[in-house]
Amino acid sequence: MKNLIIILLASVVLFACEEPFVLDSDQADPKIVIEGLVTNQPGYQSVKISRSADFYSSGATPRVTDAVVTVSDDLGNVYTFVHNPNAVEDSAGIYIPQTPFVGSVGRTYTLRVQADGELYEAEDELFAVTTMDSLSYKINTEEEEDPEIEGRFYEALMFTKEPQDETNYYLFKFYRNDSLTFDSDTDIYVGDDKFLAGNINGIGTPIFYSLEDVARVEMYSISRFGYVFYSDLNTLINNDGGMFGPIPATPRTNLSNGALGFFQVSAVDVGEITIEE
Amino acid sequence: MFRFLFVLTAVMISTTAWSQEKVTLNGFIKDGANGEELIGVTVYIPQLKAGTITNAYGFYALTVPPGTYEVQYSFVGFKSQVITVELQSDVSRNVELQTEATVMDELVISDKPIDENVVSVQMSKNTLDMAQVRKLPALFGEVDIIKNIQMLPGVISAGEGTSAFFVRGGSADQNLILIDEAPVYDPSHLFGLFSVFNADVIKDSELYKGGIPARFGGRLSSILEVRTKDGNNKNFSASGGFGTMASRVMVEGPFKKGESSYVLSARASNVGLYLMAADQENGVNFYDINAKVNWRANNKNRFFLAGYSGRDNMKFDGGDVGFGWGNSTGTFRWNHLFNERLFSNVSVIASQFDYKLELKDPVQGFKWTSSLQELSIKADLSYAINTKNDLSFGYHGTGRRFAPGKVQPTTEESIFTTLELQKMYALDHALYIGNEQQLNEKISLDYGVRLSIFQNIGKGDVYLYEDPQDNIDPTRTDTLHYDRFESIKTYVNVEPRLGIRYIVAPGQSIKVSYNRMVQNTHLVSASTVPVPFNTWSPSSYYLKPQVADQIAAGYFRNFSNNKYEFAWEAYYKDIHNVTDFADNAQVFFNENLSTEYRQGDSWSYGTEFMITKREGKLTGAISYTLSKTMREIDGVNQGKAFKANYDRRNVVNVQAAYDYSARWTFGGTFSYSTGRPFTVSSGKYEYGSYNPDVITERNDYLLPAFHRLDLSATLTPKRNANRRWKGQWVFAVYNVYNRKNPFTVYTRTKQNSEGEIIGDGTEKEARLVYLFPVMPSVTYNFKF
Repeated sequence: MKNLIIILLASVVLFACEEPFVLDSDQADPKIVIEGLVTNQPGYQSVKISRSADFYSSGATPRVTDAVVTVSDDLGNVYTFVHNPNAVEDSAGIYIPQTPFVGSVGRTYTLRVQADGELYEAEDELFAVTTMDSLSYKINTEEEEDPEIEGRFYEALMFTKEPQDETNYYLFKFYRNDSLTFDSDTDIYVGDDKFLAGNINGIGTPIFYSLEDVARVEMYSISRFGYVFYSDLNTLINNDGGMFGPIPATPRTNLSNGALGFFQVSAVDVGEITIEE
Repeated sequence: MFRFLFVLTAVMISTTAWSQEKVTLNGFIKDGANGEELIGVTVYIPQLKAGTITNAYGFYALTVPPGTYEVQYSFVGFKSQVITVELQSDVSRNVELQTEATVMDELVISDKPIDENVVSVQMSKNTLDMAQVRKLPALFGEVDIIKNIQMLPGVISAGEGTSAFFVRGGSADQNLILIDEAPVYDPSHLFGLFSVFNADVIKDSELYKGGIPARFGGRLSSILEVRTKDGNNKNFSASGGFGTMASRVMVEGPFKKGESSYVLSARASNVGLYLMAADQENGVNFYDINAKVNWRANNKNRFFLAGYSGRDNMKFDGGDVGFGWGNSTGTFRWNHLFNERLFSNVSVIASQFDYKLELKDPVQGFKWTSSLQELSIKADLSYAINTKNDLSFGYHGTGRRFAPGKVQPTTEESIFTTLELQKMYALDHALYIGNEQQLNEKISLDYGVRLSIFQNIGKGDVYLYEDPQDNIDPTRTDTLHYDRFESIKTYVNVEPRLGIRYIVAPGQSIKVSYNRMVQNTHLVSASTVPVPFNTWSPSSYYLKPQVADQIAAGYFRNFSNNKYEFAWEAYYKDIHNVTDFADNAQVFFNENLSTEYRQGDSWSYGTEFMITKREGKLTGAISYTLSKTMREIDGVNQGKAFKANYDRRNVVNVQAAYDYSARWTFGGTFSYSTGRPFTVSSGKYEYGSYNPDVITERNDYLLPAFHRLDLSATLTPKRNANRRWKGQWVFAVYNVYNRKNPFTVYTRTKQNSEGEIIGDGTEKEARLVYLFPVMPSVTYNFKF
């Protein structure tokens, strides 16, 4: 719902022209950025720690490789994370559990990071996610008339029953052949069930597929705070500068001590389908 | 409080019984050509050094000792009249003034007496001279009073493409915009390209920036009072125009000559807008309709019925996405003369603002609607006690209904469900009394007090929270239920008003004023410029009234026999409980909206200079304003003081019109203002595949300065006296030197014009959005 509002506001710029602008604002001192994820499925658990950089810098932002990272649950279990133990390329700054574990619905997890002499903490609860009944697909006739990429005009369709008696928040990720894809690079697919009816019968994915492609949809449950964080992040990265939309601000986060980013705890449901004739 | 006001009134009226027998001269003053009442005509008796001006209905009353006097009626642009009147008992004298029939007769049509700016007690008020405004260049050829108001000293425009204006450090929602006494909640068409005021139908517009009289209230920073024409009650007349963006037509005439008349005008956007959208399936359009009927039943009673309705509609995506919004107002007024000295006006006013957003889609279709309605009754009385005292008093009562939002699915298969935010209701009462008193030859006072009683009433629910300011996870601890008309919260405020004028020497005066204004209707908006989808909220359990105190001082002087007017003013304004919103506030469709409110302090001060030349071939004005506006609110910008969005250190405005010949008039306007404070990136970081900006302080960056030059030329072909049809061509160029004035600056991943990412996607760039490049326009106006 909020996305639609932003799109509508952006359409005002119907009358507008644009040109490049050199931003000569004062640059802030580097801040710690923490991206934490704990789910109820194996292989997802990770914490990425980096630092912010100047606006006009290029390449990956600096990574923090010597932090001390632990995740504990409300039963007293403590899981230690180690930095890139298998020396995977391009994984600097990523910490994974020393001993693999999965989260459980109903538990609350606490992240503790010690980096650059400072302690950063965050807490989040693992909520259940509804399961997707099935995935199917169909040709999107509009896209077929004028496809962006030749042959890529199939959309996957999601079916599920949204529980109306509880409050749920969702984050969606869409993959084409194992590659995380978006319609536009600043899209975040997050939802609040406040506006949703019970029967979700065939919502189309925002991305398109060609024949032989494998479509995968990951549906994450997120906490209320997670929804607030992703909404704020969505507003920030799609900001119009603050004329019609809200004035840019730092997304609210469950991380303490001025860290940017978020510690997300979710249940995941995955659906997959191959596009065939 | 009531008893106090009653006693005060009784005392003031009874003092007249003590003084010697007085008589009253009164009447209505009209334009001889079309019977329109003239507002602000000076009626002066030199022998007594006493005078008054006609009110908004063209009525004047002067109470004097019995005698025979020469009475001067003067109004610049009209031939003055001097009438000898024998006043042994009360006399009613209606006067018709004729326009000056010299070659330059279009020149000097100002509705102020020649030295009113020096003599009147009222300061910080600007009257828009409609004839002068027409000589100046207009965007797309559409004369727009809001654009002219944005060029007055002390008034700041948000930039282009917006009808929002900020007065002396006040935000856009702190201006009360009235059309024939009815409030207009959104004065813009097309997000501010045009305003809802069709200049053809406007008779008078006045902006009060300070020293606001007791009869006004409800907003902190300004009152814009627009009055429409009553309709030519002598002859039928039609006029209109065709322009690049919009066309308009107006008809007016008498039902019964001299007694009743009507005026009807309509304006609509034309094809130009469809073409501009460059896509046949998309479109934008708007329209305005103004209608008025008036009837002079007899010497003591006059009735008016006026209405306005306007709408904007936008369609995108082949008609799948649509939004529209609009205002409708209706006013019924009854002027009644109780006796020679006591004039009253009773009005019943209705106003509605609503908007609608719709997405047509089988799976994601929804319709979102919201509205604000109000109904009020107003009684304003004026009593000319004696030569030195003019009393005014009245009551204004309003009921409001706020419907912040309702979402409905448009098809059965839609994923959306019906959701409605609860409606809110308010009762707003105000009582005021004021007196204009001439203490002696040099000093005049205008003082008064307004009592405002505001009630937020049920039917409704109020949620109590564990932490009323927690907007991340609001936790309700209880819900209070209120029945219909049950008071949820009552706020009582006293608003004193005072103005003092001291005549230093002929043609020179010093004025000082103080006013307290209270605002109980708050705009729910976290952006710089209000959008049509913003809603309004009444003061309530959590939202306190905003209170502003303003003091102003000024020096006024006329030169060369009133040819040049010089005005200097300085002001200081302090606002308590200014309504703002938390960082990251979700203002749309929020059932816990009260957790987003953050009220705090705002203060602004400044100084304004203005020189106006009203006579001669070259007329115009130059103004300069130096000002500063700050806010400090807990929960916004980490509680640190920050520059308000509309803080502009320096603003310069120049307007000039040159009557080259009987056929050609040239006009030009130039505006300059310091760049806008803006919140921009101080770095970037990675989160997932996104690279958001680091945001530290609010509004500590300045955008490039704003400046623009507009020029126009008006050609009025030689009038053939026998032909009724009069035409006029207006050629204008907006933004002559193509200045790219920043509308906004935003950031994005570095990409080319096709939207393809340049590089590895880690680099970012900033983009400047600007609205109007150089734009020529041609408009044809007619009248018969």
